[in-house]
Formats: sequence, C-alpha cells, structure tokens
Amino acid sequence: MKVRFWGVRGSCATPGGRYLRYGGNTTAIEVRADSGHRILIDLGTGVTEFAKELMAAEFGQGKGELPVLLTHTHVDHIQGLPFFTPLFIRGNSIRIMGRELKGVPLKEVLQDQLNGHYSPLYGLENLAAGLEVQTLRAGSSWPAEGFEVKTHLAPHGSTSVVACRITADGKSIVIMTDVEHPPEGISNGLIELARDCDLLVHDAMFSDQEYSLRAGWGHSSVGSAIATAQTVGARRLALFHHSPDSSDEQLDTLVTQASEASSIPLFAAQEGHDVAI
Amino acid sequence: MYLTFWGVRGSYPVPGAATVRYGGHTSCVELRSDSGGCLVIDAGTGLRALGKKLAQEFREPQGATYNLILSHVHWDHIQGLPFFEPAYIGDTKIVVHAPRAAAKELRQVIGGITRHEFFPVDLDAVPADFEFQEVTPGTEFQINEFTVLPIGLNHPFGAVGYRIDADGSSMAYVSDTAPFDRMLHKQHFTAGVEEPSAEDREVLSKMRANLVASLRGVDTVIYDTHFTSEEYEQFPHWGHSTPEHALEICQEAGVRELVLYHHAPAHDDDTMDRIAEKFGVLGKEVNVAVCVAKEKMTLIMGEVTNPGIVA
Repeated sequence: MKVRFWGVRGSCATPGGRYLRYGGNTTAIEVRADSGHRILIDLGTGVTEFAKELMAAEFGQGKGELPVLLTHTHVDHIQGLPFFTPLFIRGNSIRIMGRELKGVPLKEVLQDQLNGHYSPLYGLENLAAGLEVQTLRAGSSWPAEGFEVKTHLAPHGSTSVVACRITADGKSIVIMTDVEHPPEGISNGLIELARDCDLLVHDAMFSDQEYSLRAGWGHSSVGSAIATAQTVGARRLALFHHSPDSSDEQLDTLVTQASEASSIPLFAAQEGHDVAI
Repeated sequence: MYLTFWGVRGSYPVPGAATVRYGGHTSCVELRSDSGGCLVIDAGTGLRALGKKLAQEFREPQGATYNLILSHVHWDHIQGLPFFEPAYIGDTKIVVHAPRAAAKELRQVIGGITRHEFFPVDLDAVPADFEFQEVTPGTEFQINEFTVLPIGLNHPFGAVGYRIDADGSSMAYVSDTAPFDRMLHKQHFTAGVEEPSAEDREVLSKMRANLVASLRGVDTVIYDTHFTSEEYEQFPHWGHSTPEHALEICQEAGVRELVLYHHAPAHDDDTMDRIAEKFGVLGKEVNVAVCVAKEKMTLIMGEVTNPGIVA
C-alpha cells in the first residue's frame, strides 16, 4: 500500500516561494493498494494536481472509478471539487462519502457549494460524470473495493469530523485531520480505530506554543499528535494540516523539535511525496 | 491613487514552483487614495495577507471601517473573506458592496460561506459588524474620496466591473467578463455556447458600448484575460476574456494602461512571460501600455508608462 499527499495545508492554500517544499495545496490524500485500487480522502485544492494524473489514465477515457471520503465539508476540504476534472468526463463513476452534519445531508451541502451564486456549475446535476453522494453512518465500515475502511467521529471545535482507518495489503493507515482531542485525552473509540496502525496522519496545525493561544479552535498541537501516536501504538506519524503561516523553514524546525520529543518516528507530510506503507 | 495586487489568479489558488513570480492567490486588489483611504476590490485568497497588513496598520485606534467591493460572489472572489483578520477585531465595521437583487440576500450569500458546513465561525458570531450594500450597474456612488461607477459585465449569473475615480486619476476593474459577441451569459448552466437571439445581441451590443463609454480616458484598466485566444475557442461559454479582446476594448476607450489579470490556473510563470512580451508589443502599436498583474505589484494611477513597482 502507498500513500501520496496531494495537499497538506490547512485552512487556506499558500502559494509562494516560502511553501514550495512542503506544498501549499489544501488537503487531499490518495491511498493506493498494491492491486491498483485507489481511494481519495478530501477534496482540497490538491485534487487539481491529482486530477491531472487521473486524466492521463482511465479517467481521461471516462472509465475511471474512484471512492472519495470527506472528513468534513469546511471549505479547505472541498474547494477542489468544482475543479476536479474527472467529474467532467461522462462515464467516470465517482462516489463521495461523508457524514450528515446537524441534520443537513452531505449532498445538500455540496449542492449549495455549486449553487449559481458561488459557481458557474449551478449544481451537482451538471457534472457529466456519474456522481453518487452517500451519507455515512458514524462508526460504520464502508466497502470500497480493494480496501477495508472503518470510520469514527472525532471532535473538531463545535463540530465533529470523520476519522478513518484504511486497510489493504495487510497494512493500515489512519487519518485524523481537523481534530482536537479534549483535555482529558483521546476517546476510547478513536484509540480502537487507530490501534497499532502502520501510519497515523494527524492534525498538527499548531506548535505547542501556538496551541496555548488557539485551544478550542478544533486543531491539534504537535504535542497532541505525538501523544496520540504513542497512545495508539502507531508505527509512524505524519504531521498534517500545516498552518498557512508555517513556511518551509518553520516546518523544518517543527519537525526537528518534534522528532526529539517523540518515541515514534515522524515526518511532516509533503505534497507530491509517496510514502510506502 | 495607487493600487497593489494581492491575488491575480482565476478559478482557484495555485501554489507551487510554477507560480512563484506572478503569484497563485485568487482575485484581490487594494486601492489607495493619496491621503491613505483604502478600498478593497474582491475577496479571493489574496485577502488573507492583505487583512494581516490592514489589521496591523489600523490597530489603533479601534473602530476602523473597511470597504470591500465585489465583482460577484463566485468562490474565487470571496474565499478569502473568512480569513480577513480585521473581521475578528471587535468594534470594526466591514461594508461589503456587491451586485445582488437585494442586500438581504447578499447577507445570506456571504453568510453562507461562514455557516457551519463551510467554516467554523458563523457570520453572526464574527466580532466585526458586517453591512451589505447592493450596487447597481450605471448608478454611481461615493465611498469616502472614491467615486465608484458599477458597470454591467457578461458573466454567468452576472458580474459587475467598476470605474473608480479619486485624486484626479482613475482606474477600472473589469473582471470577470466574457467578450460581447459569442453569447450572452444568463442565470443558468451552459454546457456549451448558446447562440444569442436578436434580443441577446442587442443586450450584448449595449453592454459593450456602455463598457467602452465607462472606460473612456481611464488611466489604468485591470481586465479579465483568463484565456489565450486558442483556449477561448475551446471554452467560449466559461465567461472569461482574452488579452486580444481586452486590448481592443481599451484601445477603443482611449485607455492609457491595460493590466492583464485573472490568470488561468494552468498559466505558469513562463507562459505569463510570453503573454507579457507579446501584448507589450501589440499594445505599443495601438498606444496602450500593457503589463501583466503580479502579486504584490504596486501601480500608480496616472503615470504615462508604468512598468510596475514590485514591493
């Protein structure tokens, strides 16, 4: 199994020379099984680059199939959707899975994202590809061909997001982005979800000092990401959802300090990089 | 009067090595009068960095008022708004001027991007006070020392450009718009070019004539030139223009300087260099100075030839 980070940035994309190594696109993660099956987590601006690779393959001929899991619908996790070119090719089959939030079905939220005020697409019905939007029941497993996907809700400020465990080829990756565990610690459900995973991708938007000013914003400190990795017994930790204020140099420093503080090998997720699991 | 570009890109922000020189942030321009008055045009991702600067500048005294004028509310023109730092400072007033059927609906539209599904902070919970003003094409209005004339444009769901005069100089912001020949954009989805009816042609012709008249003698015009002419042939129904079209309009209106703007995400720095060179030459032939918008570039209105000052 292989993971490629297409977008690692949180909140707002960061063009410019100070963000070239870690990358400035907002969240998108591709997981690929040895069988060739793929699954995509989130539709941030990173998917515009992923789309180019897909279009050069079977998606360009309208023969692609892709399951997409949305952790939640804050804009940095969906803003690539209207520009995800496989959606414009008839014949492609794209299945978006996410959760209902405060009684608003996922499909309605995405429909609103594309309404005439905001987008010249005017609605999901105008995307040529077959698009299926499914509401995920919290805590459920999700059959995606080639993978086993388990989910669990995780706290994110005043709301919650979907954390997931994706298993294939005897390996597991757990993605917990946009999470802020309560002061008393990570929930048992999330510990179960992430236990003994091979790679934990965890929100680490803030340095420990920054976090002291940003508690309650729904994001984790690097320290909290490390603590979670240690608690669940992850083999490796990827710091993810980098702050738009963190330059490459600042992230280098963050990683150096974090490595010293962690008993688990870690790295900061980098756009365009493949990680073998 | 002078202006600074904070976002020059169309559609979506484009990070990466290919956009470092021209910039990858979406639409946002800061306009300043000689006495320091500030007007922000469009609220794409470039607004985040501008907001940080403004919050610093206006830290004291409290009670600053910011005026934002929007061409329309497609995502690439508003997605910086939730990250506008002054919105999180109490006792701040943010006046949003935009074209909508009613100011109430405008509040709902802008409020929509900050509702819980899209952003963690609800508009009503934001410390700053928001006020919404509807603009109407052809109806001039005043924002402090700036005289603002909204101009109807040809874009899906509708968009307006603005001519702005202050300090005896003038600028215009013409984005987003398609040319005025192939089709009239309306409030519905188009999968391809829709042949204009006789009535549509009349609307287009009036829209074009009105734009030229409104731009008459303007010092600097910022124009949506998203497409090369070859790309435009493939996507004439997307609501964007070409440098050729922008130059034609500016020449006709006797504009001094044309700034190419709203660059397509796929146009890397080298492509933009080639466009700058080509249209610099073509512009000279018709007596219009042409330059390409770059992030952080400052232009002073009213100068005869202005290569741009990169901050």
